[in-house]
Amino acid sequence: MGLTRNRLYIFLGLSCLAGYIWLFINSKYSDDEVVVCLFKHVTGVPCPSCGSTRSVLYFFNGEIFSSLYWNPMGLIVAAIMLLVPFWIAFDVILKRDTLFRFYKNAEKIFQKRWVAIPAIMLIIGNWIWNIIKGV
Amino acid sequence: MEAQKVDMFMISNAKFFESHQIPIIRDRLISIDDSKWVQISTIQFKDPTLSIVLSVIVGSFGVDRFVIGDTGLGIGKLLTCGGLGIWTIVDWFLIMGATREKNMEMLQRFLF
Repeated sequence: MGLTRNRLYIFLGLSCLAGYIWLFINSKYSDDEVVVCLFKHVTGVPCPSCGSTRSVLYFFNGEIFSSLYWNPMGLIVAAIMLLVPFWIAFDVILKRDTLFRFYKNAEKIFQKRWVAIPAIMLIIGNWIWNIIKGV
Repeated sequence: MEAQKVDMFMISNAKFFESHQIPIIRDRLISIDDSKWVQISTIQFKDPTLSIVLSVIVGSFGVDRFVIGDTGLGIGKLLTCGGLGIWTIVDWFLIMGATREKNMEMLQRFLF
């Protein structure tokens, strides 16, 4: 059961769809906050990606600085959510596998130590910031 | 390779693979050349027990996926709070199988 092009595209497509549904629900009922994060439920401390929903919502409302404040990782999520559906459509229509090859290459890059260690440091830094902010 | 060597390998490494793969691996190992023995016997397989432990403790950060080499999925899990908590729970049940599949992929590079 290796990862094939079609599996990846279906998975990414469904993830994006789920993401948009999640955003829609959150933008409709923004008053009562729903916490789904297992880590936050168990420990009471926010996890590194807590605040991403608010961040993405602010991003789509054009408030980049609020978005950065709530969680910089939200910007990455928003970029992926904007880009991936078009990329999948492009690949499916033209019967190509550019996204699949990009994904495989990105995996290889992130497995390199000099990329992985700074990335982990950034995430830990973001986590500390999240805890201080009390997201 | 000699059947004795292969059986020794199978006994010490059976827990790293799916049970349905074991007869195939054994047949294939017997038929391949002896010169690959050193390489094959020194492959570091990922332990499914370790990945389930990681999945339960830090699964919502995607650490389990990072450890078995699914970096892309790991990043996905990390960015989305473990897929809003749902993916984390799904992975408690999938991660051991995924680890065994990864081990099979690793071994296949030497077998075929």
